[in-house]
Amino acid sequence: MKLRLIIGIANLFGAISRITKRGSGVMVTGRIILKMQPNAVSALSRNRKVILISGTNGKTTTTSLIFSALTVKNRVVSNYTGANLFAGLAAALSKNLSAPMAALEVDEMVMPWAIKQTNPEIVVLLNLGRDQLDRLSEVRFVAQKWKDALAELPKQCQILADADDPFVVWAALDWQNVLWFSSGALGHIDASTCPSCGIVLDWSPDGAHYSCTCGFEKPVAQWVLTGDELRGPQGQNVKVVSGIPGRAALSNAARAIVTASYFGVSLQDSSIAIAKVTSVDGRFGKLKIGNTDFRLMLSKNPASWRETLATSAAGPTCVLLVVNANTQDGKDTSWLWDVDFTPLTQRYVVVTGDRRLDVSARLTVNEIAHHVVANESAAAILLGEVEADLIASYTAFHRLAKSVTT
Amino acid sequence: MTFTIVHLLPELLGTYGDRGNVEILSWRLRAREVPHEVLKIGVSDSIPTSADLYLIGGGEDDAQIAALEILGKNNLLQKVLDSGAHIFAVCAGFQILGTQFPASGDRIIQGLGLIGVETVSARHRSVGELLSRPTAPIEMLTGFENHGGQTRFLDELQPLGHVVSGIGNGQGSNVDGLVTPQIVATYMHGPAFARNPELADWILSRKLGSLPSLSAPVFNQLHDERVSKAK
Ligand SMILES: [Zn+2]
Repeated sequence: MKLRLIIGIANLFGAISRITKRGSGVMVTGRIILKMQPNAVSALSRNRKVILISGTNGKTTTTSLIFSALTVKNRVVSNYTGANLFAGLAAALSKNLSAPMAALEVDEMVMPWAIKQTNPEIVVLLNLGRDQLDRLSEVRFVAQKWKDALAELPKQCQILADADDPFVVWAALDWQNVLWFSSGALGHIDASTCPSCGIVLDWSPDGAHYSCTCGFEKPVAQWVLTGDELRGPQGQNVKVVSGIPGRAALSNAARAIVTASYFGVSLQDSSIAIAKVTSVDGRFGKLKIGNTDFRLMLSKNPASWRETLATSAAGPTCVLLVVNANTQDGKDTSWLWDVDFTPLTQRYVVVTGDRRLDVSARLTVNEIAHHVVANESAAAILLGEVEADLIASYTAFHRLAKSVTT
Repeated sequence: MTFTIVHLLPELLGTYGDRGNVEILSWRLRAREVPHEVLKIGVSDSIPTSADLYLIGGGEDDAQIAALEILGKNNLLQKVLDSGAHIFAVCAGFQILGTQFPASGDRIIQGLGLIGVETVSARHRSVGELLSRPTAPIEMLTGFENHGGQTRFLDELQPLGHVVSGIGNGQGSNVDGLVTPQIVATYMHGPAFARNPELADWILSRKLGSLPSLSAPVFNQLHDERVSKAK
């Protein structure tokens, strides 16, 4: 059967799923396409310039920003709503067959498959850190998967990789065509041993540099973000303005500007386009519960909690934490003890979610005053008519994101 | 007298919130106004042998082997035990204290041999809630386990708990962890002391003698909730 016909049928089923409110339809569409034509992703990637984006944190935001920067000059398809497994990639590529470019967020473990299928032009590697250890793999194992997969890249492919992250560096360093990016991130909670040889990795006291007696060390970055200034290998530079708050968002915005520059979008044009993005798939969206105006934030592992708590600290005084431990959140809550919650000191803190007692115990030991309530509505009654941040783990975030207004 | 807790190699053995156990012990001592200090011993620090309680946490293969090399120098942990100190060891830390443990690439690594246990590679990883009936006079133990090894007693040893649900040491033993006069070990992380306040106090009192009672209901509520969900 012809691919166009298959896509037509799959879209029909996707629409039915959406109308009957069984789901957004994306997964249904993607699954049917792959069922009827298992090599659909490969076929749909032919004659297209494909960009793959992966990492533990920031995939969805970075993909969305790359999409925004590229659309200044190009027609682009993308899965920037976070459907980043096999079906999600197939569905995204089937959206607009005449678009010459595709910016695809890819789950870390799907990268080997995605690389083989899409023959990418650029691969953007963000970071690797611990994430739901009860169901996902140890960091080193994921880095090894990447290393093996990157060896299969088409020769001309460019990698844009994070120089601050030892696991990313180790995975990418064999490739001849790597551009290193640094945002000056310090230290790494999982990289105490050398990814290359396994002995204790030697970090400089400020966490800005790492090296090992085996020869493994932090590479010199060609693209460097200092404060909000991005500077490239030829001295080209731009002030990065992010519409999304936080240091991680700024660093992802810079990566998006670099990526788009390789497809002819000027640094300035990208920066202007990116500054207009203020919310990505519910992240930093507005949500009203009772009389309380919440700003919704996602946190899913120790690195992302640290980042979110730092970003939120510059926000309103009131903050609601919602922590669950369903399968997609990870059933193990031990990560709570790897996060320093002291940025919540001096704020008005309310806690809910299935694992609110775990959070309450953690905050108690961290000497942070807080209230524990049964659900978000009870929290809104307690908070009243104020602005507040709502930091939620994965399943709670996705439930609440459906009610985000902007 | 200041009670000294040593947190051993947190950068290497701290994958499952292990620093939480240290923070909780410190908090429980502070709440009772027991003078104490916590020493965080990193990979390049020298390890004191005269403290009161040493905590060793869990970690990945390479980190476990790197930690073993540091702790194995000059019979350090034997000196710690000879000085009368106590040790609390979790997961990878538990395995290091035994005679051997497995590592990636089918390697068998020789452990410190301070306790008569050996760990072998299990066919399936043990991941999930772990509930056990303690051999000590304290309430039911609740934790979360995540380990690829199974640990067998080579001597007649006292387990920390008899498994009600979950795997624990495995090998058909139906027990978790181990208790000797100076060592308590377990596969429970989570961290164990957040969910098991009585375990925290029992370990402290083994060294400090009886402690004044402490009202901290959140830990008891968390304990009861986890026990009832795991049953
Ligand atoms: Zn090395």
